[in-house]
Amino acid sequence: MTYLLITFQALVVLLSAPLVVGMVRTLKARFQNRQGPSIFLPYVSMLSLLRKEMTITKHSSWVFRVVPFVVLGSAFFLALVVPSLFFGIVPSSLDNIFLFGAVVALGSVFLVLGGMDTGSTFGNMGSSREMTLAALVEPAFYVSLATLALATGAWGMGGIIGHFTSLPWLVAVPPVIVTLIGFLFVLLAENARYPVDNPATHLELTMVHEAMILEYSGTYLAMLEYASAIKLTALLAVCMGILIPFGISAPPVTFFGLGVALIAFFGKLALGAFAIAFIESVIVKMRFYRMQEYMMLAFFIALLGLAVELIVLYH
Amino acid sequence: MSSFTIDCLFAVAFVLPLVGVVLSLLTRRFSWNNTLVQSIFILSGFAGLIAGSYFFALLGIGNSASFNATFFGLVNIALNSMQVFFLMLVYGGVLLTSLYAIQSLPPYKDVYVLPTLNVASAFFIVGMQATILSPSLFTFLMAWEIMSVSAYFLVIADRSDESLRAGWLYFVMTHIGFACIAAGLLLLAGGNLFASWHDVALSALSATPLAISVAFVLLFAGFGSKAGLVPLHQWLPYAHPQAPSGSSALLSGVMLKVALFGFIQGVALFPFVPSFSAFLVIGIGLLSAFFGALRAAVENDAKRVLAWSSIENMGLIFSAVGIYLLVHGSPDSAVSAIAPSIALFIILHTVNHFIFKTGLFMAVGAVASKTHTRNLDELGGLAQRWPIFAGIFLALSLAAAALPPFGTFFGEWTYFQTLASGMTVSALFGGSFALILALLALVGGLALFAYVRMFSAIFLGRARTTHAEQVSPMPILLWLPPLSSVLLSITAGLFLFPILSAPNAFTEGMTLFGDVAVLGGASMNAWWVLLSVLSIGVLLMVFRRFLSNRNPARITDTWDCGQPITPRMQYTATGFSAPIRFFFKSILMSEKELIIEPISMSNPWIVRRRLVWSIQSFFEYWLYRPIGIAVFAVSHAVKKLQNGVIQLYLLLVICALVLTLATTL
Repeated sequence: MTYLLITFQALVVLLSAPLVVGMVRTLKARFQNRQGPSIFLPYVSMLSLLRKEMTITKHSSWVFRVVPFVVLGSAFFLALVVPSLFFGIVPSSLDNIFLFGAVVALGSVFLVLGGMDTGSTFGNMGSSREMTLAALVEPAFYVSLATLALATGAWGMGGIIGHFTSLPWLVAVPPVIVTLIGFLFVLLAENARYPVDNPATHLELTMVHEAMILEYSGTYLAMLEYASAIKLTALLAVCMGILIPFGISAPPVTFFGLGVALIAFFGKLALGAFAIAFIESVIVKMRFYRMQEYMMLAFFIALLGLAVELIVLYH
Repeated sequence: MSSFTIDCLFAVAFVLPLVGVVLSLLTRRFSWNNTLVQSIFILSGFAGLIAGSYFFALLGIGNSASFNATFFGLVNIALNSMQVFFLMLVYGGVLLTSLYAIQSLPPYKDVYVLPTLNVASAFFIVGMQATILSPSLFTFLMAWEIMSVSAYFLVIADRSDESLRAGWLYFVMTHIGFACIAAGLLLLAGGNLFASWHDVALSALSATPLAISVAFVLLFAGFGSKAGLVPLHQWLPYAHPQAPSGSSALLSGVMLKVALFGFIQGVALFPFVPSFSAFLVIGIGLLSAFFGALRAAVENDAKRVLAWSSIENMGLIFSAVGIYLLVHGSPDSAVSAIAPSIALFIILHTVNHFIFKTGLFMAVGAVASKTHTRNLDELGGLAQRWPIFAGIFLALSLAAAALPPFGTFFGEWTYFQTLASGMTVSALFGGSFALILALLALVGGLALFAYVRMFSAIFLGRARTTHAEQVSPMPILLWLPPLSSVLLSITAGLFLFPILSAPNAFTEGMTLFGDVAVLGGASMNAWWVLLSVLSIGVLLMVFRRFLSNRNPARITDTWDCGQPITPRMQYTATGFSAPIRFFFKSILMSEKELIIEPISMSNPWIVRRRLVWSIQSFFEYWLYRPIGIAVFAVSHAVKKLQNGVIQLYLLLVICALVLTLATTL
């Protein structure tokens, strides 16, 4: 039964991932007074990519072909352990916070290798930038995760979310608000969103993620785009699950509870997508060589969150 | 499986390298000389590993029981499990690097004098073993000196100017370290040079607190300089890469661990550790970790990247040792409960660093011997020539970057998790552990950067030189030892991690496959992680097979905007790390300058432009240079006394006599 629930939960995240990307794109278009595409467009484009022929550069090695599998695999892992509908079902050794962080890093590393294995400056540039960002965002990421764990006394993602569902909102959530802001900074950087990266263009010299995957096509491109959609959804699910823990429950699960959880989950994703679209519409992209300011800010906010939590804990 | 067998095997392991010395010199005219000597080293390492395994099988792992090694009645050494643990690292290193040296050294027979190099290696191996086995202060110092001096001959093996300079720097630094160690130990022993460890510990009981503090600082400086801790690390990035690759692997993978052993053994002699000591060790450890990782991320010499990464990893281990000193034996049971988990990290990371660093040094050495360069900017595209070797190198890099499913990840997980759990102890611990955790995360990120950069610069993209384009196949003995390191690294996570976490629990029904729990109830399971990696991999393969277009991919050119691209257009390793150099500009003291030289007097537009960039050593500039300036200033001042007038010299002699009489009377 537990395995069934884990599979179901992972499937929900996997199936809703392109929807989140679609929602963000459409909402952004509306902010810009455009009609925007259908929110289901990413499904169509990924499925059509799957049927297209692949071209692979002759200057690449086997590493280039392994990259999509590892990146998508690490995204699958995130989908598997994030408590989006239920908590307390994933073994505590698999949803550990530091394993979560390491798997995110593993995905980034292979994406970087893919960009380096093309012999083109474009992919190399994206890789260099992505690796720098991944290295520098690590302190803020780990400190926020550790703060969440400290606040809840649990070391797994499930336990953390479980804590917030069991307490009244006003008791549990306010102490971690600062940490959540720090986590949002990490989320934007990890998912190549504004102000770190511009996910909409292919040809600007300012971008990171799209430059790395430039040489990929067909099935592999679909896998990489799907992976980035899943990563966004998973991190958003963590963020929203803490902010609005409503609907997430522990087994045993009733049909009514399941329905509530599903509706709540999609509601939260819509809200998260709106937030991202809003942020991307009101701020500008930062110059890459000012990224250390962003990272320092993220780190200090995460540290401030930890300080708040320590004060709450010991006073 | 008697104790006599263990005794014999340890004796064999100890003596065989010396046999190797004799044979190496006797057979130096024959072509099979090197193979013979390396085989003897391999036998020595093998015997030692079996002896160590027997030891642990006989006495158990968590026990403090000791075993009396008599070496056929010649001596009587009470071996404890810590000594055997470090000895096994030595034997493991000797086994792997000697296997590697069979094929890696002969191509260099014009560069190195192989028989003498092997003599130096043998003394080095014996010196390391003797350092660990030493039962008394005097033998320890002797063995330490044998190890240090033979390491000097390994560093200068190719007799190039660069090596001689590096060797000289090493020689001076190691003897400053030796002086500190000797002084510190003698302070503890009350001046008795021939005291056994037991006597040293006894006489340390009556030492004054000031003497204890001074002795601690001296020992930390001495062993720290050998372990490459900042700011006494200056020699390491120069010296380690200059040795032949197999010896570099021993220097970085094993000798640094012997320094760690010396420090731990030294600290165990103290009746109490001074209150500042833990903070000193933590601070220096973290500083080394950060600085090592940062320099590894911007270094261009492949072997020097590894040397800087050794500084980083030793820094991590020492910071954990500092935390252990802080929490160990605390009256508060919540605080002292942190100690076992920290100790678990120290042991795991010692093993893991040994495994991946030995493997990486051998792998980089193999690349350098085939492409004739260690400069990352000149390499590239090797993954197309050596697919399997690239896989081995990638696995070692991921292990070094502490990513799952390799053993290093589980070690570092233990550290992170212990720090995070330790935050719940008190507000003070919470705050300081939070800062350490943040710094460790940054160090981890930079190490990730350094290894990804090194791997992609060597193996990915297109070859930049004809050497790199037309490399010959890799001989088996050059890739087999690194491959063993990969397998060992995975094994360390799957077996060593659960076994060491609860050494005595296996009799109580715990299995290898159970969760490993550390402080605070957090748990991790290497088997689950590996299983999920494998199952997700299989799942994706199945999806790929059934859901996507199955036509073979079309092989094309890289997208080039309609204009052919050349290998020179790729990012170099230097370009790759440009953001890091920029973001950490003030710490790296990096400078970039565009030099414009006019060519034609009449036309100002015809100029030659050159870009130069440099990284200066922070410590050389702010610490070593002022000391050097001060020394010169003092010697200039003293020079005034030597004006060549004999009367002044006579006056000085009389003054000295009067002063001596005055002080003695």
